[in-house]
Amino acid sequence: MAKIKEGGLSTALQQLDRRWIFLLVAVGAILPILFPIGLSVTVTPPVRDLFDRIESLTPDDVVMVSFDYGPTTKPENGPMAAAVLRHCLARRVKVVVLALFPIGGGAMATEELDRVAAEFPTLRYGTDFVNLGYKDGGQASMKQMGEDIARVFPSDSRGTPLSRLPLMQKVRNYRDIKLVVSLATGIIGDWWINLINAQFGTPVAVGCTAVSAPKFYAYYDSHQMIGLLGGLKGASEYERLLLDAYPQVKPVYDNPMIFNAMRGMDVQTIIHAIIIGFIIIGNVAYFLGRSRAARV
Amino acid sequence: MFLRVQLPLLLTFLAGLIPIVAFFFTEKARLVKVPNDRLEKWMIIIAGFAIMLGVVNVVQGNIRKIERKGPGWHYAIFLLIGLVLPGSFGLLGAFNVGPFHGISPHADGSPSPFSFFVSYVFQPLQATMFSLLAFYVASAAFRAFRVRNLEATILLLAAVVVMLGRIPLGESLFAWIPGGKLALGTFTEWLMNNPNTAAQRGIMIGAALGAASLSLRVILGIERSYLGLEKD
Amino acid sequence: MSIELIGTWIAALLTLCLFSFLYKDNPFFRFAEALFAGVSLGYYIGQTANNTLKPNLVLPLVHDFRGNYDLVIPALLGLNLYTRYIPRIAWMARFSLAVYVGYYTGVNMVQKLQGEVLPQAGATMMPLLGAFPIAGTTALLVTLAATALVLGLIDSARGHLTRGAVIFVSTWIVARVVAQVAFPLAADALDNLLLFVGVIMVLIYFFFSLEHRGAVGGMSRLGIWFLMLGFGAAFGYTVMGRVSLLIGRMNFLIIDWIGGTVRAIGG
Repeated sequence: MAKIKEGGLSTALQQLDRRWIFLLVAVGAILPILFPIGLSVTVTPPVRDLFDRIESLTPDDVVMVSFDYGPTTKPENGPMAAAVLRHCLARRVKVVVLALFPIGGGAMATEELDRVAAEFPTLRYGTDFVNLGYKDGGQASMKQMGEDIARVFPSDSRGTPLSRLPLMQKVRNYRDIKLVVSLATGIIGDWWINLINAQFGTPVAVGCTAVSAPKFYAYYDSHQMIGLLGGLKGASEYERLLLDAYPQVKPVYDNPMIFNAMRGMDVQTIIHAIIIGFIIIGNVAYFLGRSRAARV
Repeated sequence: MFLRVQLPLLLTFLAGLIPIVAFFFTEKARLVKVPNDRLEKWMIIIAGFAIMLGVVNVVQGNIRKIERKGPGWHYAIFLLIGLVLPGSFGLLGAFNVGPFHGISPHADGSPSPFSFFVSYVFQPLQATMFSLLAFYVASAAFRAFRVRNLEATILLLAAVVVMLGRIPLGESLFAWIPGGKLALGTFTEWLMNNPNTAAQRGIMIGAALGAASLSLRVILGIERSYLGLEKD
Repeated sequence: MSIELIGTWIAALLTLCLFSFLYKDNPFFRFAEALFAGVSLGYYIGQTANNTLKPNLVLPLVHDFRGNYDLVIPALLGLNLYTRYIPRIAWMARFSLAVYVGYYTGVNMVQKLQGEVLPQAGATMMPLLGAFPIAGTTALLVTLAATALVLGLIDSARGHLTRGAVIFVSTWIVARVVAQVAFPLAADALDNLLLFVGVIMVLIYFFFSLEHRGAVGGMSRLGIWFLMLGFGAAFGYTVMGRVSLLIGRMNFLIIDWIGGTVRAIGG
C-alpha cells in the first residue's frame, strides 16, 4: 500500500512481480479443466474444406497422414491428428501414416494411430492402415516417395517389409495417394506444399500450430493447399464437424480421460480474457505514468 | 589445394546441379533421373549420419566440462546419463542385441526400455519446456504491448481482434447487435485472408527470392563459409 | 504399482521440476534441463539407428550386397563427416559436407522459386473487376479506391508520407463498407485490390536499394501497416499456441497424474 501511495498506481502496476501474472495464468488453466464450461465453436471455411475433401473419398482411396510434430506441440497437433485419423477410419478410407519430424515425430505417429485404430476393431493393420514410422532425410525422403515409397521405407515401423503389407501393394507413390495431411509444427508442413504439391500435384492439407497458422493462410489463398487447421481452434472445429457427422465417435469425445481440443477451447477463452485484461491494465498504467510524468 | 578447396566446391556444384536439372525432365530421361534418384536415396542415409553429429559435439563439450569441474559440472553428468541410457537402449533395440527387441512398445502393450524413456522422460520434458512460454507470453503482453504510436496501435488492435475472434465467446461478442452474430469471428477470418495474407505473402516472396539467390551463390562457389572457407 | 503409474509419477515430477523455474532458478530445474538436453539426443540415436540406418543401409547391405553395393558410398560419406573431430584430417569432412549442402541447396532453390515465388505472385494478380451484371458498380468502387491510391502516392511524393497512406486506406474502407452493405460481389474485387497493394507495399518496404522517401516512402509506410496487421495476427495466434501447450501439461498433471493415482489407490 505504501508503495502505491509513494509511486502511484501506475508504478505499482508496472513493477508488479511477474509471478502474480504466472499464478493467474495457472489458475486460469486449471479451473476450466476441473470445471468444464462446454463452449461451442463455429466452423471456418479452411477447416470445412478439409473435412469435405475427406468426406468425398471412398473406401478405395488412400490418405497419407504425416506426423511432422513432436511432444512440444502435441496438445495442438495431437487432437488434429486424432480427429483426421478417426474421420478417415470411420469412412473406411485407407490410411498410410509416416513421420518426418526428428524430435519425436515417430513416437507421436505410433501413439495416435494405435489409440485411434483401437476404436475400430474391425479394421486390420496392413490392410486398412499402415504405420511406416520415422525417416531421416527431409526433402530427399519426400521427393523419393514420388518415385517409390518402398525405396524410402523398405519396412514399416515394426520392421515388416512393405511387400508383406497388402495395402502397400496398392500404393507405390504419390499417384496412388488422394490426399496428404501433414500435422506440422514447422517447416515440414511448408515442404509438403512448396515441394510435393508444387512438383507432384498431390493435394495437400496442413494442420499446423497456431504460431505458424498466419503464414499458411498465404498458401491457402493461393490454392496450394486444400484445407487448413490452425492451432487448437482449427482442431476443435474439426472435432465439431466430426461429431455432427459421426455420432458414433461421441463416447471418445465425452471421455474426460482423453484430452480433446473442444475442452481446450474453454481454457483458451479464460486465458485469452486474462491476457487481454493484462494488455488493458498495462496500457492504463502506461498512460497514467505518462500523464504523471507530463505533470511533473 | 585441389583436394581441400576445389574438389569440395566441385562436389557442391554437382550435387546442387543434379536436382535442379532433374526438375526440368520427365521420368523418361533416365540419364538425368537415375543420378537424381541415387542421390536422393543416398541423402537419406547421409542425413542420418549428419543428424547424429550434434551428439558427438555435446558429448565432447560435456566431458570437458566434467573434467574441468567448471560451474554446474555435475549437471553435465545428468545430461550424459540422459543421453547414454535411451541412446544405448535405442541402439541395442534397433539391432535386437541381447534382451532388447526393437524400440517400439512390445506386442502386449508393455513398454520397451527405449519407449519407456520416450513416454515418461522425453515427452514430458519436451512438452513442459515449451509450455513455460505460455507464462512468459502473458507477462510480455502485460509489459510490452503499449499504444506508443500508430504502428504499435495497429499491431495491438490486430492482436486483440484475433485473440477475441478465435475464442468461442469472442466470436459472438457482438451478437446483441442485429445481424452481429459471429461478426467478430467473420471479421477475424477476413483479416487472416486479406491483410494478413498480403503481409505473409510479401514476406514469403521476399524471403524466397533471398533464399534462392543464396542457393545460387552456394552452388556457384561464391558463398563458401559452410565449408569453413573464406570468400575469395 | 503398475509400470504405467511409475512412469506417470516420473513424468509428473520432471514436469514440476521444470515448472519450478517460474518461481525462481533452482537445482531441480537445472537437473531437469540437463536431462532434457541429454534425452533429446538419446532419442535421436535410437530413432535414426532403428528407422534409417538399419532398414535403409545395414539390412540392404547384409541381405543383398551385390544389389545394393552403391550404398557403400553414402555410408562412407556419412562416416567421413566425423573426421572433423580428428584435427589432422578434419578437412576431409568437407567432401561429405559439400555433397550434403550442395544437394539440399539445389532442392531448396527450385522449391523456393517454383513452390513459393511463382504461385504466390500468381495468386496476387487476381481480377479486380467483378462479374456481370454488377461490373459497373464494381468498376466504380475499385476505380475510387485506385484513384485514392494514386492521389495518396502523389501526396507522399510531396513529403506527406502518413497522410498519403491514410488517403488510400480511408477511401478503401469507405468503398469496402459500401460494397459490403449494398454490392457484395464488389467486395471481392476490393479485397483483391487490397491484397495486391498490400503485397507490393510490403515488398517495397523490404527493398532497401531505394531510399524510403517521397512516393517510395509512402508505399513503404503502407507496407509497415500491413506488416503490423500480420504481426498482430501472428501474436494473437502465438498466444493461442503457447496456451495450448500449457493446457496439455495441466491436463496431464490433473487428469493423468492426480486422477490416475486416485484411481489406482481406489482400485
